[in-house]
Amino acid sequence: MTGISRRGVIAGLGATSLAAPFINRRAFAQSGDAIKIGVVTALSGPQEFIGNFVLSGCQIAVDQINAAGGVLGRQLALEIRDDRANPAEASAAARELIGLGANLQIGTISSSVALAMGPLMTQEGGVVITCGAGTEKLNHENYNEHVFRPGDGPYMRMRAQARLMAERQPEVTSWTGLVPDHEYGRTTWAVYVDGLLQFYPEIAKADPEILDPIIVPYGAGDYRTFVTQAARSQAQGIYNSTYGGDSVTLFQQAKPFQLFKDRVLMDSANEFIVAGALKGDTPGHWTGIHWYHETNKGNPLSDQLYDDYVKKTGNTQPMGWVSEAHAGIYAYAKAIEKSGKSDTDAVIAGLKGLEWDTATGKRLMRAEDNQAIKDVELIYIEPDASGPLGYKVTDYVKVDGNTVIEPPTPGEPMTLRKPS
Amino acid sequence: MAGDLITILFNAMIWAMATFLVASGLTLVFGILHVLNFSHGGFFMIGGYVAYTVLSMFGADIPLWAYLVAAIVASVAMGGTGVAVDTLVFRRLKSVDGVYVLIATYALLLVCDGVVKLIWGLNYLSVSPPRELLDVIFLGGAILPTFSIFVILSGVVVFLVLDYVLNRTSAGRILQVIAIDPWMAGVVGINVSSVYRWTVITGFALAGLAGGLLVANQSLSPDLAGIFILQAFGVVIVGGMGSVRGAFVASIFLGLVEALSATYLPNYPGVLFFATIALVLIVRPEGLLSRQATT
Repeated sequence: MTGISRRGVIAGLGATSLAAPFINRRAFAQSGDAIKIGVVTALSGPQEFIGNFVLSGCQIAVDQINAAGGVLGRQLALEIRDDRANPAEASAAARELIGLGANLQIGTISSSVALAMGPLMTQEGGVVITCGAGTEKLNHENYNEHVFRPGDGPYMRMRAQARLMAERQPEVTSWTGLVPDHEYGRTTWAVYVDGLLQFYPEIAKADPEILDPIIVPYGAGDYRTFVTQAARSQAQGIYNSTYGGDSVTLFQQAKPFQLFKDRVLMDSANEFIVAGALKGDTPGHWTGIHWYHETNKGNPLSDQLYDDYVKKTGNTQPMGWVSEAHAGIYAYAKAIEKSGKSDTDAVIAGLKGLEWDTATGKRLMRAEDNQAIKDVELIYIEPDASGPLGYKVTDYVKVDGNTVIEPPTPGEPMTLRKPS
Repeated sequence: MAGDLITILFNAMIWAMATFLVASGLTLVFGILHVLNFSHGGFFMIGGYVAYTVLSMFGADIPLWAYLVAAIVASVAMGGTGVAVDTLVFRRLKSVDGVYVLIATYALLLVCDGVVKLIWGLNYLSVSPPRELLDVIFLGGAILPTFSIFVILSGVVVFLVLDYVLNRTSAGRILQVIAIDPWMAGVVGINVSSVYRWTVITGFALAGLAGGLLVANQSLSPDLAGIFILQAFGVVIVGGMGSVRGAFVASIFLGLVEALSATYLPNYPGVLFFATIALVLIVRPEGLLSRQATT
């Protein structure tokens, strides 16, 4: 005699599920004591390797901030979800977390996930900070005010690499590329070429010769055909934008052909991935890195991050994604402090134009396109057969981000120099 | 010009024999058991990791004998794993629809992935070729690394041994009989169940052997399972499902397609490879060499 009929329960459930999408999720956001931050990153799948660094960076930053008293007297708490680097899974996880009150999110590595986050965050009333997503569209064609990139975009990174070459290797004027067959691979090469065409005439007082890049398949087991093509090229310098295991295989198979013996090798973004795998067989090369602790020695945030990371994981050679996540959490903390609130609109307002300290030094979140201006870090790695790692970093530089960043043009594609 | 031609042929043969090494166990198991083992790449990958573990005892300076021993250890380890997989999985799949077989073997692939992450972690790893195979040979303007020649020879030797066993020994003839009519083979007194088991063991051992022989050919990572398996499925399909000779011929054919494509259509990597597979399937859906005629 409860008065509840089966038909009534079904009707109630149906009405609830129909009404759910229209309930304003902002009403649930951040009502508890702790400020929830959703970490949606790749904890399995092809980018799991990077996702673990991202998660560690988030956890270390939250522990440090909480130990120092939190933000506006409130602790930070992480809600962690796996996106498998898949836009559909990332969208589901992000929606769920916003429903749980985590309107502030972080951790996007994959470019396709990052591009999916903009419309979703607009619709659901959240904000996301990416951790290494490289697509240039993020602050150009697909600009969305709910998405922020605290790290260097491809325009900055690749042009910084070209600038460094013009400064350090002015005699290396002919270049080709080992470019993976996907849009991002071709974009990195196009931006690098843009940098060569600007900085070689300006700095090296020489016109660079741009040879056709060698387009290589993604995820192949044999790159020898492409290696022999590159070996036949007259290029004095090779730009590599293959990534991860593809790079390891390619470099491994290139060794007998002595592809890199008398050529300068500039690698886009492998950090320690190639060197960690090839050890003493690593060819000497420059590579872009989000953060290298030796470059930033003396910066208290960097030293503390390194110590905490080693203590947490036992790994003495962290990759730079740790710092991207760490900087992202600190950006949220500073934005909340700046605006005095943790709701989405206040945090977006706080992030825009935010200047904050990170493990790589001061960064400025450009208000116009949500792209951070920061120094671009590059390291030179050489084999070291007798050393504990089998390789060592023999040089490192920072390129002033202001000298290589593009003007803000949100909503518009990049415009690049092209060889005549 | 001669150098270009030699380079194209040489690169085609490396691709072909590396792929055949992986595909040989796959096509053998399919030919006899009619099980399309989706997890084959996973056991190839674990074979590579097992060889890596053995070779890590030698540091960067690896002698050829150690390299071969590591490949044999990987082969034996995967053959042993084959016993467990046959008992726990394949025997239960004999009477079910092929779709369930695909699902079950895909699940096995995920298990392989998990095992690799659990034991060896997520870092990319690599092994140097043996010290005796670090040189190169110059031939008509082409550069031929000796380790690549070793890979080509390994593929040819595995093919010759398999072909001899399947076509010139009584065990091979029994296998062919069972592949065509297992019921009749049982009626005439052949222990079909035992032959099935040994076929699985051999197929898995071949996966392990391929992993061990190719461990210095590419990087090791949990992604490795997927890298060769797509190519291996390509040669198995083009060669004729279950035909070892067909797989061998198809691997050379597709290797040539791949090398020519990379040389003359550099802006469209992989396109010609898949177009060729599609064309073969349209023109000759049973593959280049059918199993019944050639196992």
